Amino acid sequence: MLKHDVVIVGAGLAGLRACVELRRKGIDAIIVSKVYPTRSHSGAAQGGVNAAFDENDSWESHFFDTVKGSDYLGDQDAIEILTSEAPANIIDLQRMGVVFNRNDRGGIAQRPFGGQSFPRSCYYADAVGHMMLHGLFDNVLKYKTKILYEYFVTSLVTDNGKVSGVVAYDIKNGKFEGIAAKAVLFATGGYGQVYSSNTNALINTGDGMAISIKAGVPLMDMEFVQFHPTTLKSTGILVTEGARGEGAYLLNSLGVRFMSKYASKAMELAPRDVVARAEQTEINEGRGIDGAILLDVRHLGKEKIMERLPQIMQLSIDFEGVNPIYEPIPIRPGAHYSMGGIKTDYNGRTAIEGYYSAGESACVSVHGANRLGGNSLLDTVVFGRRAGIDITEYLKTASETKFDESMVKRDEEVFEKLKKSTGKERHGLLKSELQEEMRANVGVFREENVMKKALDKIIELRERTKNISIDDKSKTFNTDIVEAFEFNNMLIIAEVIARGAILRKESRGAHYRTDFPERDDGNWLKHTLATLDGKENIKFDFSEVVITKFKPQPRTY
Amino acid sequence: MEFKVRACRFNPEVDKKPYYKEYTIEDYPGMTVLNALIKVKSELDGTLSFRRSCRSAICGSCAMKINGISKLACKTQVGPEIEKFGIINVGPLANMPVIRDLIVDQESFFDKIKEIKPYLLGQREDEAYNGFHVLKEGEKISQPVYYKSEFQNLTGNNDTPNCILCECCYSECGGVVGNPGYLGPAALAKLYRYSEDPRDNDKNGSRLVNGSKADGMWDCVHCQACEEFCPKGVSPVKSIVKLHERTIKNSITFSAGSKHVVSIAKSIRKTGRLDEIKVAFDSVGISGLINNLPMILGAGLKGKIPPLRLKLIKDMEDIRLAYKELDLEGK
Repeated sequence: MLKHDVVIVGAGLAGLRACVELRRKGIDAIIVSKVYPTRSHSGAAQGGVNAAFDENDSWESHFFDTVKGSDYLGDQDAIEILTSEAPANIIDLQRMGVVFNRNDRGGIAQRPFGGQSFPRSCYYADAVGHMMLHGLFDNVLKYKTKILYEYFVTSLVTDNGKVSGVVAYDIKNGKFEGIAAKAVLFATGGYGQVYSSNTNALINTGDGMAISIKAGVPLMDMEFVQFHPTTLKSTGILVTEGARGEGAYLLNSLGVRFMSKYASKAMELAPRDVVARAEQTEINEGRGIDGAILLDVRHLGKEKIMERLPQIMQLSIDFEGVNPIYEPIPIRPGAHYSMGGIKTDYNGRTAIEGYYSAGESACVSVHGANRLGGNSLLDTVVFGRRAGIDITEYLKTASETKFDESMVKRDEEVFEKLKKSTGKERHGLLKSELQEEMRANVGVFREENVMKKALDKIIELRERTKNISIDDKSKTFNTDIVEAFEFNNMLIIAEVIARGAILRKESRGAHYRTDFPERDDGNWLKHTLATLDGKENIKFDFSEVVITKFKPQPRTY
Repeated sequence: MEFKVRACRFNPEVDKKPYYKEYTIEDYPGMTVLNALIKVKSELDGTLSFRRSCRSAICGSCAMKINGISKLACKTQVGPEIEKFGIINVGPLANMPVIRDLIVDQESFFDKIKEIKPYLLGQREDEAYNGFHVLKEGEKISQPVYYKSEFQNLTGNNDTPNCILCECCYSECGGVVGNPGYLGPAALAKLYRYSEDPRDNDKNGSRLVNGSKADGMWDCVHCQACEEFCPKGVSPVKSIVKLHERTIKNSITFSAGSKHVVSIAKSIRKTGRLDEIKVAFDSVGISGLINNLPMILGAGLKGKIPPLRLKLIKDMEDIRLAYKELDLEGK
């Protein structure tokens, strides 16, 4: 068994930022990740990270935009922290070696983003996530941090309501390892793979959230799934909102900039929920082209495309066979981001003492019912850092806990049993069925009857999962068994999303009910909290939204 | 259309050596090699093992040999490969030990990245860590000023920060083939990236000194493979050449490689010709020559003896003029 003061699970931006904070202070924190840190999905973030720098901008304006963007479901005390700490966090990243594009005055260049009333997205061409991920990882190396990569965490271990560590499966050699710790931070990212046509990496299977709910930690607002308006038609690969920030048009089959109908002022730069719905409406009403609509950047000119959007250009050529300099890009909405997640406060604390979460896996909540573009990278660094600071304080008084080693044995047995299964079902195919069901029936537009069918399907899939076969019996790099385990996590997450979406009888942000098309502040201005009862059934509670400065208003763009 | 995937298989628990296994699957327009491998794994054979994550050419997980060339599986379309080769042959990257099937042990590669100190050294005065300033109501932050020109080598489309550490260059690198200890293109490109950073404050040039040691930048064999096979359009070899220039400019000339370059420049300045004996002597010294005695004698026996005395070339004036210009440029 290993023993460290802090175990950080997940090595995307939130995990790495927390790690830097802890290692700077010389704390014994290690990273555990199912992939090498630079393979984390934060690296795929393209467009920008928001912070108010300009003399004509203010963090208070960023604060309001984010509250409005969240459709008033975001907690305003947390959003105030997010936006007021934003500039300092960006400067701090720059100090650590992250490169941002520059403006003519020698400051950080900023581009417009959806739902933001001022151009405040800092960027590095269209690969700012990549730049930040590698920059932070380099700092983690600077502080000589122990990294257990290709370790798949299977359980959170607790002792009398306090965290005492995790159980991890060493993918390289098939051994289970108990890792005892005084504090554990989950920065395990989202679950985009629950949907077909998503922008997410294949590793984004919601493991951290699933492990948390199993350990008794509530998941908050899980019915809010962001659909990104511009993902490549064939693959779902992300096309940055920065393209629209630079001035791209959205066109329907008639060649019309249809956003004028849905958001006459903000046009293409309305928030993502609004644009995704507008696109889906155009497609549903027959003004799409082969299930897609068009993103046109041609008028920006070759030079600007090459300078500001080089990755987008290359991705369109490689994955869609379209060169955006000469042709519009066929795109459609795709599952992108989880507004919900492990319920935390604004210091990353969860319901279990010593157990923290930050980044997409967490729900603080700063994004409420809809996240604004450029706020997720900000979320990772602001709350990753804050979790790091809070853990430092927590360690000063944390008492010793006992690590229950039978948990290691238990997970080992679960794997061994799974490995022996020789049923007829293939988990890879079940996964596709789940993804397609969620896309079709718990997607951009939702309706009770349809979602109930989806729920039946999820329950059917759970039954069929008992009858899967695992081809791979070996111990060395057995990805077959890891994928089967991930699929189990995905099923839990899918069920929480579907049940939450059926429960919330209103339309707010990214959650749109055709049978309840209005926002209902009287009944639903509240967070949903999902937990498991003793029999593994999901039950829901509610909690108040924190409103400090901005009373809910009608939301138009 | 049906096509064949021929995958290199190796499981150390049961196999003595790698073998190939063929799978037949159906393609669709736009199918990538990664899509094909996922299809094989989920429908036909769950034991086929490979790494993958983002499927959009940014995470660097799925680098492998595809029809003999190190590529990202997610970025490689099946169609053109079939057209050219009739089959999709996949194997593990080279220059690293195989763990299983298409998965290599990357530890040596990552160790080399760590070795070059991939972070800013020291801090410029105005950047010194002065606490973290959280804004109060109505307050604004002042940011440090850096002009575009200061970052010009770090913000271009094909510049080194775009490296995704996928190891395609490392797998194709001729230098690593000859010397497994060689840092390799990705690590050296990263070394260049940080030495070019205007915020780096490496006062005593330790980064360049370390990079000049044995197994460092002078072990590049200039085969250009790293540039040719980079899936992100980065050119490590260009960075390495710039590192060579920088070290010599900074008089960091203790390594055989740099001495070699300086001596060649001297020899041509003096005579317009390459004085091979002198260059060899200047580069490795008397002990180096003694160590290589068998090779030297062997070459001598085969008649490969450089001239002992060099005559000046006819157009010496041109050489002088060329050097004059270079000297001016250097200043």
